[in-house]
Amino acid sequence: MSVPPEVPDRAHPDRPAGPPRPGGSVPPPPSGQQPEAVAEAAEAARRDAANRIIDTSSGQDDGLNKCPSCGSSEIRYSLTEKALVCSYCRHTWNEENAEEAFGLDSSIADLRGHTMASGTADVREDLTTVTLKCQGCGAEVVINVDQDLQARCHWCRQTLSINSQIPNGAIPDAVLPFQLTREEAIERIDAFTAKRRAFAHHRFKEEYVPDNVMGVYIPYLVVDGNMHAVLQGTGEVTTRQYTVTRGSGDNKRTETYYDADVYGVQRAFDLLVDDLTIESAERFNAQDNAQATNNILNAVQPYDTENAVIYNSNYLKNFTSERRDLNVRDVDDDVEDHFLAIARAKAVPTINRYDRGVRWEREGVAVRGTRWVSVYVPVWLYSYADSATGDSLTHYIAVNGRTGTTMGSVPVSHPKIFAVSCAAGTVAAVVGAIVGLSQFLF
Amino acid sequence: MLPLLAELSADPATMTLLAGSDSGAGGIAIPFIAGPAVFAAVYGGIYRYYRNTDKRHHFERETEVSVGNLRSGDRKVGENNRQQDRAMRGRNSTDHLQRVHRIAVD
Repeated sequence: MSVPPEVPDRAHPDRPAGPPRPGGSVPPPPSGQQPEAVAEAAEAARRDAANRIIDTSSGQDDGLNKCPSCGSSEIRYSLTEKALVCSYCRHTWNEENAEEAFGLDSSIADLRGHTMASGTADVREDLTTVTLKCQGCGAEVVINVDQDLQARCHWCRQTLSINSQIPNGAIPDAVLPFQLTREEAIERIDAFTAKRRAFAHHRFKEEYVPDNVMGVYIPYLVVDGNMHAVLQGTGEVTTRQYTVTRGSGDNKRTETYYDADVYGVQRAFDLLVDDLTIESAERFNAQDNAQATNNILNAVQPYDTENAVIYNSNYLKNFTSERRDLNVRDVDDDVEDHFLAIARAKAVPTINRYDRGVRWEREGVAVRGTRWVSVYVPVWLYSYADSATGDSLTHYIAVNGRTGTTMGSVPVSHPKIFAVSCAAGTVAAVVGAIVGLSQFLF
Repeated sequence: MLPLLAELSADPATMTLLAGSDSGAGGIAIPFIAGPAVFAAVYGGIYRYYRNTDKRHHFERETEVSVGNLRSGDRKVGENNRQQDRAMRGRNSTDHLQRVHRIAVD
């Protein structure tokens, strides 16, 4: 896939930086940034002019996410209301649907080049603090944006939020709020583990505390793609099936043979891919299960990302969130592989006549247009690491915070499985011996 | 160690070796095939049910995709006769995640 032009990146010298925001609508940089950083962003903007950037920032940088009814900044997300609730006036509301608000729902067929929502800008690892000026009392409050996106003004007690898009990966374009309550998630995790107790590791059973389940927002890059795919290979069609008898007497046996016609097969078609999701935090990379069972998090998909709403830091209150640390250019090879896999899957109904199968040998996609949006998706997560054995693998049991889809990894007791397998194998061997002996004797 | 044992017992080469004997010896080989095979199946089955190492999001089927403008180009290039396998060698039409030689497309 053709990628955005390369620009220097402080955090990853070998990686290019991503798109800057367009001129007029860009919020001013947080006061923690240096003039060099601004110059660097301007340079990136010049080089990156080929990419179309959709500004999804709030246009605010005052640190105040206010209740639209009374102006209070005491807001939280209520799972029972499934909406933001003002703690003062009890007004409830949700932010606008992000796709509609930012025009991210325009036809995928019309996509040309790379269209990027501004929340997918390259991550700057060196941006760790942002200073906000409290609009209530004028105090300056420093927020460590590596860990928090909100802080209370130490003078007037007003809640201050990072409501401008800062390029540290912590602020997505959109958020998919939790729908499933914590209690519902615990029920599902309980049901999941209840079916997997017999062969579970004894320490897991002793230490299992479902109340430790945490609500986590995980960052994903959501990609739309307009492309043309070409697949080339070889296919075979059976033309004749016949049996041949060989040997004689006790050695007589029949063998089946197949004759086939061989075809060169080519399929070329246009593909419009809608909302392909890619993990954008390295620690949740679905292909890397060495440290944690990341495939579990991958398996609770899909999410209804089309219902994501405009980012508001109050959705994240009382939950944890993982910062995005992968840029568009870090994942675009993966995305192209995903596009090819989709093309291969879509080609299956077109090769039915090849009853002996098709061996694809060459493949490629011409990507005409892509659209990238960063979204936080909700997961109820129970994690367990057996520290007693020195095994650093973290086992996850995850519940999709929208649909309730549950998947997990439960550490097993190998001796127990071994014993049961040996018993089953022995029974099978004994039965086999009886059958074999009867064949041998009679 | 234990998963390795399970894999070894399920080794298709071992199975073929045993199953390839003549009929009388084949009868005697049955317990040696059935025992390890059931051991491996039970071990692997329980392990997978608990650990779910094979689970993933099947994005290639579950992502919303529109397909159009299909062009097919099939031509006969030869014959492959007297084959003992029902399926062609190297078929990968259902293995969507396996990548093959990449070509440039205009």
